[in-house]
Amino acid sequence: MLTESLRRIGVLVRHNVLVRLRDPGQMISYIVLPIILMTVFKPLYEKAVQGANYQIISGPLVMFSIFTLAIVGNSILIEREWRTWDQLRVSRAHRAELLLGKTLPIMAILITQQLVVVLFGCALTGIPLPDTIGYVVPAILIWGVMLLAIGAALATIVRSRGEMGMVSDLGTMMVSAFGGALLPVSLMPSWARHVAPFSPGYWGVDMFQAALRGQPAHLVRPALVCLAIALVAGTFATYRLAHGFGRGRLM
Amino acid sequence: MLKAENLTKRYGRVQALAGFSLEVAAGEIVGLVGHNGAGKTTFIETATGLIRPDGGRVTVNGQDPARVRGITGVCPQQIGLYLSTTVREHLRLFGGLAGLRRTALRAEIDDLAESLKLTSFMDRPVGVLSGGQQRRTQAAVALINRPSLLLMDEPTAGADPETRQALLDVVKQRASEGAAVIYTTHYLPELTELAATIAVARAGAVIARGSAADLLDGLPGEVLVTFADAEVHVSTTDPTGTLLEILRDAGRPPIAVDLRKPSLDDLYRSLTVSYAH
Repeated sequence: MLTESLRRIGVLVRHNVLVRLRDPGQMISYIVLPIILMTVFKPLYEKAVQGANYQIISGPLVMFSIFTLAIVGNSILIEREWRTWDQLRVSRAHRAELLLGKTLPIMAILITQQLVVVLFGCALTGIPLPDTIGYVVPAILIWGVMLLAIGAALATIVRSRGEMGMVSDLGTMMVSAFGGALLPVSLMPSWARHVAPFSPGYWGVDMFQAALRGQPAHLVRPALVCLAIALVAGTFATYRLAHGFGRGRLM
Repeated sequence: MLKAENLTKRYGRVQALAGFSLEVAAGEIVGLVGHNGAGKTTFIETATGLIRPDGGRVTVNGQDPARVRGITGVCPQQIGLYLSTTVREHLRLFGGLAGLRRTALRAEIDDLAESLKLTSFMDRPVGVLSGGQQRRTQAAVALINRPSLLLMDEPTAGADPETRQALLDVVKQRASEGAAVIYTTHYLPELTELAATIAVARAGAVIARGSAADLLDGLPGEVLVTFADAEVHVSTTDPTGTLLEILRDAGRPPIAVDLRKPSLDDLYRSLTVSYAH
């Protein structure tokens, strides 16, 4: 029974990897862009911010990982556009298998993107990553799960790829800007500093800086906030995906 | 195999199913006909377990359809395929989900490629295929798990004659192997070719069910008699008697005589016309 289930998940993962690899554009750009940004903005941050090295990595990391919501959303949205989700739902695969088969490859993309950005950032700034890898990896996983859940939830709400692009772009800029990913919170105007904790980006930046500094005590709170957001968005997305997208309600 | 009893389903103000009942036995092909909006697609979706009825009950082999999805094959009205992956990759995916492995999977793919004439485009992305090729691919996806219950919702809509014939041949073959088939269509001659039992849906319910012969029995045919100076056209359940009566009354020989038996189209019109109006 378990073997059969694992086989079906494997079949789904293989297929979804195939579908992703046929359309790699977004993934490549969200890996390359933060690398360029980190390299170009490093001198600026070094002059403007105390502890600049951590901001150089965590800012672009958070901003461009939020951009990957578009990858998450589109990978689910195509199942609606191509009307393939119902085909999968009438197969022998259970709901949990379908969701795992769909989300595992996307999670792998999110982790890969974040790992590449962190590794490049550490090489650029000279932060000794091996010392803090035990904190950075869980932070990447938690942040990835949260993005996956939000992206999946968005994909079950929006009605087209255009709408997904708009929500993803606007959302990323707002969450990043108010979360301190573009400009450190300490340099933001007073009113914006009050708004910052309402942005998931704030907790992302906080979590990655704590992880890179190797401060487990400071890691717990933002990690818990991210997990709570993931739980809410994930529950909503799972419900919508498990029950189908509905006839005429969304598309 | 499949038993639907008094199903009801409402979408907002639209009553899609209103007491829909239908039974299909193993090896039987039921041709489900009716106007657009008669409830055919909603019934198919209910029978697959994709949507839950508001009322009534549907079972497949005595169980909830959602629990026995592995034995069902569905060919939806609208194409549902991954445009960026190839036909072979589709069959690997859905065959793999059905539990087929290596040799068995390869054999099943080869068999479907042959019978549905997919061989020449097996390794091309579905997005570049013609409508007919996509239709055949969709059918192959529905058939890869050798389903005991096959639900085909207008599978030949917009298909070319070659595609249509290939699909009909495969459906007949699968039914002869014991599969229960529900086949919705607007092309009634297909049902004659499939030797299907016919169920007519109207306003969310099945209003007539039986063999074509049973349903056509008692339906009026037409007699058209052409004389040199006039034409007589009569609908009648007794064409021969009516013809003799016309000739006796006319007292002169006709130029041409045409006796037309009632067709499935006539049946369809007679049963659905009040709804259409």
